[in-house]
Amino acid sequence: MTVRVAVDVGGTFTDVCVLDESSRQVSVAKVPSTADLIDGVEAGIRAAGINLDEAVFFGHGTTIATNALITRQLPRVAMVTTRGFRDIIEIRRGTKDELWDAYKDVAPPYITRRDRLVVSERVDAAGRIVQPLVEAEAREIVRILRRRGITTVAVCFINAYANGTNEQKMRDILEDELPEASISISSEILPEIFEHERFSTTVTNAVLSPLVFQYLGELGRRLEDDGYGGDLLVLHSGGGVMTAKGAAKFPARLAGSGLAAGAVATRHLASLCDFGHAIGFDMGGTSTDITLVLDGQLRVTKDWSVEYGYPICFPSIEVVTIGAGGGSLGWIDDAGSLRNGPQSAGAYPGPACYRRGGASPTNTDANLVLGRLGETLIGGALQLDREAAESALTAVVGAPLELEVADAADAVLRVANANMADALRLISIRRGHDPRDFVLVAFGGAGPLHGADLARELSIPAVLVPPNPGITSALGCLLVDVRHDLSSMFLGRDGVDPQEVEAEFQRLEAEGYERLAAEGIAEMEMDLQRTIDMRYLGQWRSLAIPVSSPLTSLQEAIAAFHDQHEREHGYNRLETPVELYRLNVTAVGLTHKPELARHSRKRYRPSAQSKRLVRFDSVEEWLETPVYRREDLEAGASIEGPAIIEQLDSTVVIPPGSSSEVDDWLNIRIEISLPA
Amino acid sequence: LAEHPHRDLAPSVATASALKRSLDPVTFEVLKNAFATIVDEMAEQILRTCHSFVIWSRDFSCALCDRDGNTVMQGSQDIATQVGILHFMAKAVLENFGESIAPGDVYVINDPYSGGTHFNDVTLVRPIFCDEELFAFALACGHWADMGGRVPGSFDISAREHFGEALRITPVRVWKAGEYLSDVVRLISANTRVPSDIEGDLHAQAKATAVAERELHRLVGKYSKSAILTAFAEVQDYVELLTRRRVSELPDGVWENEDYIDADPATEEGLIPVRVRLKISGDQMYYDLSGSHPAISIFLNAAFGLSFSSVIAGTKTFFPDVPLNSGFYRAVDVNLGPEGSVVNAPWPIAVTGGASGVHEKIMNASFEMWSQIMPERALACSFNLEYLLVGGRDGRRKDRPYFMWYDWMVGGWGGRNGKDGCNATSPVFGVGLAVQPLEGQERLSPVLTSTHELVPDSGGPGRYRGGCGVQKGALLREGERTVMSYSCDRARSITWGIDGGLPSLPHGVWLQRSDGERHFLGAVFSNVAITSGDSFTRPSAGGGGFGDPLERDPLAVREDVADGYVTVDRSLTDYGVVIREVDAELAEYEIDWEATEHARGEIRSHRLGWLAEDPESVAARYRSGELDVMDVIRRYGVILDWGSGSLFPRTTDQFRAMLMRRAVAHWTKAPTVPLP
Repeated sequence: MTVRVAVDVGGTFTDVCVLDESSRQVSVAKVPSTADLIDGVEAGIRAAGINLDEAVFFGHGTTIATNALITRQLPRVAMVTTRGFRDIIEIRRGTKDELWDAYKDVAPPYITRRDRLVVSERVDAAGRIVQPLVEAEAREIVRILRRRGITTVAVCFINAYANGTNEQKMRDILEDELPEASISISSEILPEIFEHERFSTTVTNAVLSPLVFQYLGELGRRLEDDGYGGDLLVLHSGGGVMTAKGAAKFPARLAGSGLAAGAVATRHLASLCDFGHAIGFDMGGTSTDITLVLDGQLRVTKDWSVEYGYPICFPSIEVVTIGAGGGSLGWIDDAGSLRNGPQSAGAYPGPACYRRGGASPTNTDANLVLGRLGETLIGGALQLDREAAESALTAVVGAPLELEVADAADAVLRVANANMADALRLISIRRGHDPRDFVLVAFGGAGPLHGADLARELSIPAVLVPPNPGITSALGCLLVDVRHDLSSMFLGRDGVDPQEVEAEFQRLEAEGYERLAAEGIAEMEMDLQRTIDMRYLGQWRSLAIPVSSPLTSLQEAIAAFHDQHEREHGYNRLETPVELYRLNVTAVGLTHKPELARHSRKRYRPSAQSKRLVRFDSVEEWLETPVYRREDLEAGASIEGPAIIEQLDSTVVIPPGSSSEVDDWLNIRIEISLPA
Repeated sequence: LAEHPHRDLAPSVATASALKRSLDPVTFEVLKNAFATIVDEMAEQILRTCHSFVIWSRDFSCALCDRDGNTVMQGSQDIATQVGILHFMAKAVLENFGESIAPGDVYVINDPYSGGTHFNDVTLVRPIFCDEELFAFALACGHWADMGGRVPGSFDISAREHFGEALRITPVRVWKAGEYLSDVVRLISANTRVPSDIEGDLHAQAKATAVAERELHRLVGKYSKSAILTAFAEVQDYVELLTRRRVSELPDGVWENEDYIDADPATEEGLIPVRVRLKISGDQMYYDLSGSHPAISIFLNAAFGLSFSSVIAGTKTFFPDVPLNSGFYRAVDVNLGPEGSVVNAPWPIAVTGGASGVHEKIMNASFEMWSQIMPERALACSFNLEYLLVGGRDGRRKDRPYFMWYDWMVGGWGGRNGKDGCNATSPVFGVGLAVQPLEGQERLSPVLTSTHELVPDSGGPGRYRGGCGVQKGALLREGERTVMSYSCDRARSITWGIDGGLPSLPHGVWLQRSDGERHFLGAVFSNVAITSGDSFTRPSAGGGGFGDPLERDPLAVREDVADGYVTVDRSLTDYGVVIREVDAELAEYEIDWEATEHARGEIRSHRLGWLAEDPESVAARYRSGELDVMDVIRRYGVILDWGSGSLFPRTTDQFRAMLMRRAVAHWTKAPTVPLP
């Protein structure tokens, strides 16, 4: 027997997803995360009841890099930069995310000023060396670093994207005199224009490298001891995996690993069910992650950061996180308006119904009061107190607004759903896409509770609830390819020679092949895709336009750019010159694609386990509603709303008028009744 | 009507207790948030499609106005200078076109004499109709890179009247009933240096207003026209009520303050006062700026729109969580006094530089008054908005294209109650305004940046020091027919401290000719010819200090020294803290506690005398090199021409009087050196 294993480690839980290659059945486990994260990984593997010597694949999603940045659990790292430019990473672009509150500051840079050292050197925009690296100064810096005991260094020189010679010399001197040092140089990490963005990415890479190197090394050793013989594959922010070796060179790509997992799962589930466009809606206790799949592709952005002001410009799956979750508070502001979030009751004290001292009503309390959530969760492990929820809702919302408790709960949830719909609208629907072409993939503990109402609010006709909503992210780690993203600045317009573009693409592809080969990917499993970032001359943002290989003319790409500009932004300017900005190559190493088991579907009406009174969105009366157990439902089970389906890690709401069916992969598909 | 904003803004009858909403709480909150989402969607659209690098750096704003032109919702990330003008733009369209406004029309306007800021801020106004009835306006205002006139970038410091500064656009149609009026647009773009970019930005902004139209129609479809109209009114009432609730909790009283523009070059030296008086009575704020100086001979004046916006932004800084719309304006009564003053300059007086002149002074004067009302949010003066323009022909290319190096800097913000000021942060003009990457500038112009780095000791000394300013300098390489212009202020009215804190350092540009000769060009000048090989540099000021610098914790001074924010020398002169170097290579320093106590005693006993020393002899000591600029300003309170060292006697008297009020009056005599 062989199995494929994926482990996704989050702040609270470690989720394990196992695919048995012969039966193609998926089994899952969920254990609390531990202080030593690897203990949790091993506990999860034990809980899933598998033997690692049977594993042929081990995919891993981790928040270790993200958490290290947020909590600043970082080693002392130095930066060597061009004389006159010591403070680029502190000056940043100068902006604050909090525009009006003069007492809220942007976090300080990852490297303190005292550890930012300068050396004489300079390259100009054309890549000419205006001032060669002054070696004596470089050696002096190394001497000081040695005295300070610093062995992790970021080398960030002005215009190094155009010519990395001076940076490479600096690295050679560092390697020469500090052989144990770990060095990130900006011309290799991100050879792109704009100093702060490149420096910030390089610095982030440097500060994470000791931690990531150590963690993956340790994890690899322990997995090996436990019998695993294959590669440890780590999910990165671009939605693919890297080997531990690749991750050691680009550790900053792991920031966002945890977010990418849910996005990859969304794409997979949507394509499995033949939906081209999908919105991933992963709603947890304190926040909700939203992702967008268009034509089977996840949207990728280079404008991404863990903390405001410190961009990490590797291509990253666009995930928008909003402060709305099951624990978000309903409250009345100073002018008597009903608000929802962004404050959350968090894990402690948690919702009022947890009876841990929380006195403010949360979305979870409102769901409980309306009967959408049952009084028993996690198969009996958590007992909810309906009276506590009612009194919190009455005190904070009902009394001031003169509403009955159920009406207050309904009001809280309608505001919460509208806020989430606004956030979804902002990132998705407005870009010229028709919501009726989308499926909403609802997961996370609270996603299936709100999914149907949200879909109706957005006029999305279908909702997909995967079999294990609470561990969907781990599923994402199971079904990924090795992926590297390479890019090169290429600025030019009229009269650009397609052969020059082709030559540069070939150079990038050669590097892509090399990286994949270094990770043990066989040539026939390599797949390389090209895009060109293009824009109207004078514009700042660009659009990525896919191009074919080999490239003999740019006409097709330019025509595609005009089309895409019209589609995304509502207009185009056919007479305006189009500029090339950057060439991108995505190098994918296709991993063996296991298929999930398909169950034969026999349409039937399952019987309910119990009934309870539930109030649904936009329905004033209480409806006697059948409650089903998810584990009882087989492929083909067909349930008309109103209905509630309960399972270990989530609760699914089927509103009146909507209908649902369990599909071949045991997803619940809800068909939403939309207003005409 | 529009010429006298204060008449339009009489206190409303809605008092803190009398407001009853007709919309139910959920619909109200949902629509309020939907309006906020709409203006944010407009902003997204603009950022993705704009051409002007100034807009791309976030110098723009968006609003939704009701059919009377009152603002319902302003963008959450809008630039501060524009937060009180968009309703004037909508009203100007109403006033000029009245009944002839038709569906499918789009208007453009940039007229400061109708309530705008300056010519570069161009607003697209789209009337939105419902059932063939005018229903709302969507507005998008952005700073276009060039609007023609004598000087590249359209900032002509020497202009006394607006003629020839730039193209003035009173409200005019650019779409008429859906038809694009290309002749009108061509007339506008043909009067600028970058016609294609101008047309690109016009499309980007017009399209953003179309997004708002589409979304509003969606809301009408869902909630009904009358519900939306009611929500327009009730969202304004809501903000008014919220503001009034907050204001009524504050003590009644009257506060008076003044800040200064450096000088009027056409008259004798001497600071130009901008006077701000604030009265709080019940739940209403009354501002009176009528004591301000008559309009001056350079373009640092403001017309009424910018002054009104400055008052709003200065107030809003102390109510960071209150949304902005016309409801907020109703709680703020603004009397600018008779036309003809610096704060109420009528047509045709030049006002293009008002953002670095009057706007800064109203904002910072307001900050100090509000610091007295809310000491927990106290904020000393911050550096002055500045922009340096170098324009000419790029000798690197055969076709000698026009280049424009248009550069603005971040600087230090004022010290705070319990916290140092922020280093290197965008100006009070707009905290969202990003500085440009120098690597981008070097591609587009033959200007090589020599330094972009924090300035040690630039933070105004205080118990909590001001944030550090930044030095940015550059070398002109292959430039032809190149001129340089600068718009700033505070070379004499130096960025000041409060509650005993001290000033920072002067703004102003230093030019070094290729033959080595050095000139101080001051903080405002235009069209200075420069040639290849010339270099120039200027600092941005740090923030003013908060509290007596002799009360600063010596350990904080030592940390500043280790990071190079403060030098060893000035830790003694500014803070009376004696720091000894232990090992500079390891950034190790120690405090001589005894010597510190002694030094603080010395300063304490002499500092009043220093401020009374003969200014002429101080000037002589500056010229001889015995005193540097920080000594002259912080210790002696003397203001000079920083190039020649000649004294400004009247300015010095005014500056010393200011120091007596802001610093000396708060100093205590008791020694307070904490011992370890």
